[in-house]
This record gives sequence, structure tokens and C-alpha cells, in this order.
Amino acid sequence: MNNIEPIDRVKEKTRDGDFNVPIGHYALSNSKNISLNHSPTISIYGLGSCIALVLFDKTNNVSAMSHILLPKAQPNKEIRFPHKYANLSVKLLMEELLNHGAVRDNIRALVVGGSKIFNFDSNLMGFDNTSSVKEELDSLKIQIIKEDTGGSKGRNVKFDTKNFSLSVKSTGEKEFKKIY
Amino acid sequence: MNNEYKKSEEFQLTLEQIDMLKEMGNIGSGHAITALSNLLNYEIDVSLTTAEIIPFWRIVDLFEDPSIELFGIYSEIHLKSDLSIIQLFTKESIINLINFLNVDFKLSIEDLRTVKDLDELSLSIITEIGNILSGHYANALADLLSIKLVPNVPTVALDSLNAMLDEIVAKYSQISDYMVLIKTNLVIKDIKLNCVMCFIPSLEILKNLFKILNIKYDINL
Repeated sequence: MNNIEPIDRVKEKTRDGDFNVPIGHYALSNSKNISLNHSPTISIYGLGSCIALVLFDKTNNVSAMSHILLPKAQPNKEIRFPHKYANLSVKLLMEELLNHGAVRDNIRALVVGGSKIFNFDSNLMGFDNTSSVKEELDSLKIQIIKEDTGGSKGRNVKFDTKNFSLSVKSTGEKEFKKIY
Repeated sequence: MNNEYKKSEEFQLTLEQIDMLKEMGNIGSGHAITALSNLLNYEIDVSLTTAEIIPFWRIVDLFEDPSIELFGIYSEIHLKSDLSIIQLFTKESIINLINFLNVDFKLSIEDLRTVKDLDELSLSIITEIGNILSGHYANALADLLSIKLVPNVPTVALDSLNAMLDEIVAKYSQISDYMVLIKTNLVIKDIKLNCVMCFIPSLEILKNLFKILNIKYDINL
């Protein structure tokens, strides 16, 4: 197991004992790190063109979320935050799950985000991010069981690691809606 | 010569370079503010410019409340690399602006649900404000640096700051984990106007800017 803490893993919890994932980072939760009987909620506030990728294994109780910014990493560059990039984050997040007790066949994906906030023609960031994430998941044969992507509004997303439910609130809406 | 370095993990800009960026921000925003001031016939009460280099995931920390809904007016300037200018207004500020400039009817907060719901006149007022501000900002910098800087027509969004910044952060952190943000806060008390003007140069253009301004450029990419 990894004894060195990776710089892009969220370790600090909010006052409520939850994780908020900044761009290019990820958070992971399994049975080992449940403190005081609180299964943390993992969330991202203000998803625009970025993607919130959730991978989880219900049976073995491992969940993780990454906050993806760009579709593909440039080759030949030193990369300190691989979860910035869809083509790296999907693979690495899956490996993290496997390293923390997940079984490959059990892993399922949830994909949220990829909006187009500023409406000008050459703005394909959200669209490209969504495509790239889905391509990578497909190539790893990981099934997407729920997707809420596209559109022109920002989203807030919360994943409950206790019951593996996903809730989304778009800008302008008053309440979170459970979508999975 | 001031050789102190401001360390930002692995990224370094000298204090002199930061001061120069702040000065550019002052000059750019100064011209934009004068134009706005003349348009509205009101003096600007507060104007404060800061320049920061910051890791891409912490750019939202430079703003007070990244989760509230704001109007963002965004323009790009295409040079060899890119520059972006974005202006951020609270809903109240936009309402005050529109109602101040438009004598025919008055908008209220309920009318500002989404950009798509906005009537044509209000949208064109907002876009024009963006045009004036980014145009004057860019002109001032173009004069200072003797280069051509023409912003394209701005696009308007109404969303949380976090969501709006994603696309900008994506563009500028394709090759680097650091972003430069030159930010000016301005307030006009009498019409309750609050605006934040942001100027974001790519690291590539930053090297050129420093070169032009004859300062030692020592950026670790």
C-alpha cells in the first residue's frame, strides 16, 4: 500500500466530516477511514466545463471522486496533477479503487458536468471533457450507470459514500435532486 | 535592485515582476474605469488592483464567495498566445446598471433568472458595458506595450464563479499548473455598483510582456 501521501488526494475534511474536491484532485473513502460512524459525503461545488467522475464498488464499500479539467494530457510534460486530465484520471482512479479493496468487475461510474457556461462557438471544453471521460471508461469496460452532463448551467454534485447515492443541484435550482 | 523572490511552490516571480503586473493592472483598469465613469457620470469610489500567481486549483480562493451567482462578461484577446479579460458583477449591480441606463422600464431581481431570459435591450447593455471595459483595458495595455490587443465580442453568463472559471482555468493550465491573475475591485457607492475586473495573461505572453518592459524574465515553466 502507498505510504507516501499523494499531493492530489483530498485528506482534509470539512467541519461536517466531508470531502470537497478541488480541480485536479480526488477523494477516496472506504470502510477503513470511516470515523465516528460518519461515512463522508464527497462533493464538488461549481462544476462548469469540468467533470466530476465517481467510481465505486458497492460490495466492497470503496468510493472515489475526481475533478477533471481537460480531456487529454500533453505528452512529454511532467505531470504533478494527473487528475486534471480525463485520459489519466479514469485509469488512476480505477487503480486507486483496486488498491483500496475494490474488485474490477464491481466498479461502476457516475459522470456529471461538462457544461458550456460561456456560449461562444469555439468553446468545446465541456463537450470534449465528457467525450474523453466516456471514451476512457468504455476502453476500461467500466459501466456508466448514471450521467448528467452538458447544458449551459453550472452544477453542484454530492456523492453519499454510505448509500452510494448521487445528488445534483444546477445553478438556479433551489434543492439538490437525487439522480441515482 | 530588489532580488527578493516570491516563492509559490516551484513557481517564481520576482517582487519587481509582480509590481509590474500590478502596475499593468492599474493602467488597464484605470482606463476602463475612466470610460465607465464617463458613461455613468459617477466617480469610482474604490479601486484596488492585485496581481497573483496561483496554483490552478486555488484561483477560486482569490474571490470572496465563489458559490454565489454572478454575471460574468468574458472576452478573449488572440495574440500569439492568449489573454482573457473577465468582468464579474453581482446581480444587484447589473440591475442597478441597467435601470440606470435604460429609461423605458425597470428590471427587478426576479427578471434575472438566466441569461436566456434577459430581454434583448438588457443583454445588449450588459454586453456593451463589457465591450467598453475590456476594450479600454486592452487599449491601455496595447499602448503601454506597443502591440496590438483587440478583444473579441464579449459573451455573458450568469452562474457561480466556480463554474464560470472552469473554462478559463482549463485554457490556461493546459501546459502549466500556475495561473497569473491581475484583479481590480471597483465600487461606485451611489448606484451600488460592485465589479471585479480580471486580466489573465498566458505564461507565454507574460514572458513577452516582461521582455518588452525590459525586465529580467526568469519564469520556471
